[in-house]
Amino acid sequence: MATRSQTAAVLLAGALALAACGSGGAQAPAAQSGAKTLVIDTSFDLKTADPGRTYEPTGLIVGKATYETLLTFDGGDVTKPVPALAESYELSEDGKVVTLKLKQGATFADGSPITADDVVFSLTRVRDMKGTPSFLLDGVEVAKADDSTITLTSKQANPALPYILPNPALGIINSKLAKQNGATTDPQDKAEQYLNSTSAGSGPYLIESFNVSSQVVLKANPKYYGTKPAYDKVVIRNVEAATQKLNVQRGDSQVALNLSGDQVAGMPANLQVDKTSSANVIFLFANQNQEISKTTPNAKFVEAVRKGVDYAGLLELAGEGATQAPGVIPSQILGALGADQAAKRDLEGAKAALAASGLSNPTVKLEYPSELTVNGLSFQPLAERIQANLKEVGITVDLNPAPVTTALDNYRNGKEEMGLWYWGPDYPDPSDYLVFLPGKTVGERAGWKAGSDKTVEESGEKAAVAVGDDLRKQAYADMQTKLNASGPFIPLIQPSQNIVTAASVTGLEYHPVWTVDVADLGVK
Amino acid sequence: MSNTASGKTLQPDRVPEPARARRRGSHPLARFLVRRLLTAVLLAWGITLVTFVLTNMVPGDPVAANLGQRALGDPAIVAQWRAEHGLDKPLWEQYALHLRGLLQGDFGTSQQSHRPVSQDLAEFVPATLELAGAAILVSLVLGVGFGVVAALRRDRLSDHLLRVLSLIGISVPTFWLALVAFYVFFYRLQITPGSGRVDPALGGAPPVTGLQTIDALLAGRWDIFASAAGHLVTPALVLALYTIGLLTRFTRSAVLEVLGQDYVRAARAKGLPGRVILFRYVLRSALVPIITVAGLAFGSLLSGTVLVEAIFAWPGIGQYAYKSATTLDLPAVMGVGLVVGVVYLVINLIVDVLYGVIDPRVRLQ
Repeated sequence: MATRSQTAAVLLAGALALAACGSGGAQAPAAQSGAKTLVIDTSFDLKTADPGRTYEPTGLIVGKATYETLLTFDGGDVTKPVPALAESYELSEDGKVVTLKLKQGATFADGSPITADDVVFSLTRVRDMKGTPSFLLDGVEVAKADDSTITLTSKQANPALPYILPNPALGIINSKLAKQNGATTDPQDKAEQYLNSTSAGSGPYLIESFNVSSQVVLKANPKYYGTKPAYDKVVIRNVEAATQKLNVQRGDSQVALNLSGDQVAGMPANLQVDKTSSANVIFLFANQNQEISKTTPNAKFVEAVRKGVDYAGLLELAGEGATQAPGVIPSQILGALGADQAAKRDLEGAKAALAASGLSNPTVKLEYPSELTVNGLSFQPLAERIQANLKEVGITVDLNPAPVTTALDNYRNGKEEMGLWYWGPDYPDPSDYLVFLPGKTVGERAGWKAGSDKTVEESGEKAAVAVGDDLRKQAYADMQTKLNASGPFIPLIQPSQNIVTAASVTGLEYHPVWTVDVADLGVK
Repeated sequence: MSNTASGKTLQPDRVPEPARARRRGSHPLARFLVRRLLTAVLLAWGITLVTFVLTNMVPGDPVAANLGQRALGDPAIVAQWRAEHGLDKPLWEQYALHLRGLLQGDFGTSQQSHRPVSQDLAEFVPATLELAGAAILVSLVLGVGFGVVAALRRDRLSDHLLRVLSLIGISVPTFWLALVAFYVFFYRLQITPGSGRVDPALGGAPPVTGLQTIDALLAGRWDIFASAAGHLVTPALVLALYTIGLLTRFTRSAVLEVLGQDYVRAARAKGLPGRVILFRYVLRSALVPIITVAGLAFGSLLSGTVLVEAIFAWPGIGQYAYKSATTLDLPAVMGVGLVVGVVYLVINLIVDVLYGVIDPRVRLQ
């Protein structure tokens, strides 16, 4: 009786194994099947496809492909805005008014022309809906001068505006279509669900399907009036970094966006690896609020930390392509400090500063998001390295990791004694970094109240209203130098952004705002 | 269970009992079913309470997780958002509203996808069920098969081999195995397809059941079916390995126990063919412990899918649950909790009913 059942079991196992090999082996990788489908693997940070609410990296990739903005950037160069839906723009001498002329002949995906009214509606909606990106247009009045002219007026000089306008959140939507589906210019707006299923824009791609946790499928916009994109279909999938690597190596995907420096080391020659330092700046801060800590508001303590961190060691952890951040403004953006101005480790100096602080063997709590990775780099090893560095100085650091939602709460409420976080540019303009000043968003998080550092604040005010590239460059460099001297922030590194593409993909350029412009990618 | 089951010839006194029960007006199996169903409803209510309480105990503010920095600074918008999502009401009232919604099939609106949670679940649950279902099928067939073989060939080489294999199956962590399997079969040997449920260039079949393989067949798309089945193989096998190991061990010991019983020896002595003894006597008696283990294993299989889904980029409920938890999307978290809880309940119910079917004594208890 044994033999029969045994045979049955063995046969069954064999059949299953055969099925496994058979159906799998018949599979041809997408790239070779002839249909021009591009598969992009990325770790999703995605909430919506409504441009007026988009703020997350993955959302910006989708937004850039499906909507057009008034201005844009050429490739990865963020130092000069160039025309897109607007054929030209002009900034008034006092820096308060931006006048834009609309391009003629541009149409939405449904064939209707893009009008000045669409522009006014779209921008007003973003501002007044109070979604995440609405701050981009805080205090900016949008008006139609004539059928093809728009003016954007700010109360104070706003030379950053042309650098803000390329943000995909400010994509122009088909106002008639959007209004029919619940779009309004106040917080009551109900168009998001509609915009998550259909894109009402004029971009080279349309949304075919959209899912915040698994994948987004884009298809080429048949009515696109500009240069037709090379791929008929783009699939953006939510894939873990480790799996991304195998997928792109095997040819199952053509682009992998989130590999760390370690993961791209030793990539086979048939893949292209683009390594650039990202525009994300990882920094450390010491809370200045006496109620939160008796230790960290001490200026000499901050100096000890600044001199005690081993920046070269952190770079080693981050891998090839990463750079040290000399100031809070990343290297790609106007006003960034030169590499020669970066802080260096000075162990003796750090010990001396600690001695001068009057604190003996201080213990501080360092909080950071445990599962968050920036460009494939996890915060955990960085925090451990900093802990070891400061131990040598004589500072005991208690590591306090928490899931990002919990950690973010403490951070936003200014409750962290010391924090390890990062800042990515909302728009590639130095004015985005005024938030580090006392009393501003990030300053407050570090317990740095308005009025607590007159020198830094004055330099910031000056930088904010400076008009003209040279003046602004100087003003922002000056602000950062002062920030480094007396502020609670210690800029650490800009991790490397590593993008791996198949040999067949051309035209990839890392962009600090939208990571990659899908429509720019070609086929070899 | 051991010395009573099935052997009619050996235990004629079993027969009158169901007859007695029938006289009382209803079939014992029917009464048993009603009793179990009522318990299940009570338990389902308990699940809603537990998921609600646990979800609302999570530290972290859903408002901050969902509204932008600027909107957070505007108390009117924050108040409006809280009111819209019912967060301004006392907890008990929120729970009452939640429960009323559930009874009407309304799971609330997800704060991340801005769609009804029921709609999200309808999209993700089938993917997980397809994966877990394939895994449980494979486990039952292989696990029970291996267990029987091992028991029948006790202390021979094949028995030792199977026991070692089952031990490995139980001991190896699923997520590690998933990574290794993905690396070996997909990347090294290139015999299995990569991430997701189906080749992205093909797209999916029009959704009817939500099960990609079935939908492809319904649409007559053999290419999609082949792709979907191929994508299913590795994750399902990875997921099944633990359950296979568990079932092999339990089946083996259950079968060995039955094989030692007098009535089996008697049957053998009477010269009944081996096949009859195996299926009519041995397996039937061994089935109760096997079903118990299979039911429990299905639970571990569901929790295993979270990691397996992450590694194979399988768009199932695991990924949805992770995303919901990290964005403090409370309605979605509660929806997932409820669905998983109810799946457990249903499995337990099925197991209980199967006991009743296999072993008449259970219905009378």
